[in-house]
Amino acid sequence: MKPQHATSAVASAVSVRSLRKEFRTKQKLPGLGAAFRSLVHPSIRTITAVDGVSFEVERGEILAFIGPNGAGKSTTIKLLTGILYPDSGEVRVLGLDPHRERRALAYRIGTVFGQKSQLWFHLPPSDSFSLLAGIYDIDRERAKRRIEFLTEVFGIGDLLTTPVRKLSLGQRIRCEIAASLLHEPEILFLDEPTIGLDVVVKERIRDLIRTVNREDGVTVFLTSHDAGDIEKICRRVMVVNHGRIVWNGSVNEMKYTLLNRRIVSLKLEAPLVFSMEGVEIVKSKGYAAKLEVDLTRVTIESVVSTLLRENKIVDISIAAPPLEEIIASIYGRTEAPVDGEQTTDGDE
Amino acid sequence: MRTVGRRRAFPVSLIGRYLRFNLAAAIEYRTAFLVQVFGMALNNSAFIFFWLILFERIGSDIRGYEFSDVMFVWAIVASGYGLAVVVMGNASQISRIVYTGELDVYLLQPKTVLPNVLFSRMVVSGIGDFLYGIVLFVATHPVTARNVALFVVFVALVATLMTAMRVLYHSLTFFFGNAEAFALTASDLAVSFVLYPGSIFRGPAVWLLHSLVPAALMGYIPVALFREFDPVRFGLLILADGAIVVIAIAAFHLGLRRYESGNRIGTRT
Repeated sequence: MKPQHATSAVASAVSVRSLRKEFRTKQKLPGLGAAFRSLVHPSIRTITAVDGVSFEVERGEILAFIGPNGAGKSTTIKLLTGILYPDSGEVRVLGLDPHRERRALAYRIGTVFGQKSQLWFHLPPSDSFSLLAGIYDIDRERAKRRIEFLTEVFGIGDLLTTPVRKLSLGQRIRCEIAASLLHEPEILFLDEPTIGLDVVVKERIRDLIRTVNREDGVTVFLTSHDAGDIEKICRRVMVVNHGRIVWNGSVNEMKYTLLNRRIVSLKLEAPLVFSMEGVEIVKSKGYAAKLEVDLTRVTIESVVSTLLRENKIVDISIAAPPLEEIIASIYGRTEAPVDGEQTTDGDE
Repeated sequence: MRTVGRRRAFPVSLIGRYLRFNLAAAIEYRTAFLVQVFGMALNNSAFIFFWLILFERIGSDIRGYEFSDVMFVWAIVASGYGLAVVVMGNASQISRIVYTGELDVYLLQPKTVLPNVLFSRMVVSGIGDFLYGIVLFVATHPVTARNVALFVVFVALVATLMTAMRVLYHSLTFFFGNAEAFALTASDLAVSFVLYPGSIFRGPAVWLLHSLVPAALMGYIPVALFREFDPVRFGLLILADGAIVVIAIAAFHLGLRRYESGNRIGTRT
């Protein structure tokens, strides 16, 4: 695992030390008999959702927090936003303890949970904005100016008077993000903001997140399963699996150093003639070819010079493997037995 | 700090905003709104005929209860119930809000959680109950300053107590995973008992009706005080109501520490 970023807690937007959260869940085997047996003698399983994680997020940073389903992403966000109480460890968000100073923190953070809407389904977004302004104690004049500003930036002028139930998913997410920014938060927590959106809308949402970060200096803490979100928005990525951070570094670092492989794509004047230790020809058809280079066995320089010497090359590109593959590889490397999980018998 | 305005734990003005907001949402569906409001008033009216026929058949007194006493209980319970569900309509939804993880939305807002949950939803049909109780009171009792004052006080107490009981019952969901069915049954039980003359109950039932299912605090104690006001008994009633409110708030906050959230997909309706 890569060493954690060393940043002072004062300058940090988020500072987490040895954070831990466990859930106890009742296990039930299938069938009616098992249901009756579990009434008398329940089997309780302790699941360690967050297992002693420590990290920092700097102010103004856009951080991707990724991991497979059940890795502990959502639990971590809920601990950072004061929804859940930690079992142990220390959390500071903008210098505040989220569960002890929940209300004070709520004024300073914005959240968009793709699965939970803060807009009323039967009413137009303008009504929800007005109610949220009241909840966040924003005075009428300031709320009006802020709504006008967000309407312009997010291009939602036409949507403000349409009931939320009649908006498309992309339109609704734009309104959700605008609603979360109404009180000018310093940190925006986004949980799967682009889930279920088409590529055009995804790109628009990404643009908006970048704009909010660049122009208002809002720190963005993003979870996503979409490699495009991570690649196009974030500078740093943290990968969490089984409640532990298994990677913490820049997106570029992750792409170029984590997997010692490069993909070389070629267009040639004649069919490829090439053989080299540490290089696999993935595809060779007509005048095009794709090679996979293992950098632990051969340098990219020697591969390219040999290719140029032995072939007439029209075009060449060298790329890191797609981010999805890298992420899948990290997940795969950490699919070890879960030592934080245990099953006990006892009363709930 | 960029947010402006005075920061308050839960300002009274927010209750007004929630009421206007919910009313606007209900009026989106005009026909359903009218059917719910007038349907509930019509439904309640049917029971009056039942009591009228009963008193005609068995005489003017059922263990010390006269027709006007029963109508007074009906009036304060209907208006109290209506007021409770119109203003604090989410009390009966707490179990669902907890087990679906919808409570996250409230925990992310800078307001005290319990009032924010309670006041954010309106049960539209409650408007019908509330108005029905007022009409029934005016139709069956002399409208004097004393009577109106007692009616208003008891309606407010019934509304507070009903909400507190729901909060208490539904807070068990934090501890047992899902107490929704129990909470609904227990709440209905309290309303069922309160609508009958308290004097017909004897033995352990009397204790039960003063504590776990506090029908006595909503029904026959107010009736007795309405007939003949006793400041000491009224003080005791306030104390008993206050104790239940405190227990309900404590149960909710103890439960909140055990909240595990959830990931069910949903929208606010």
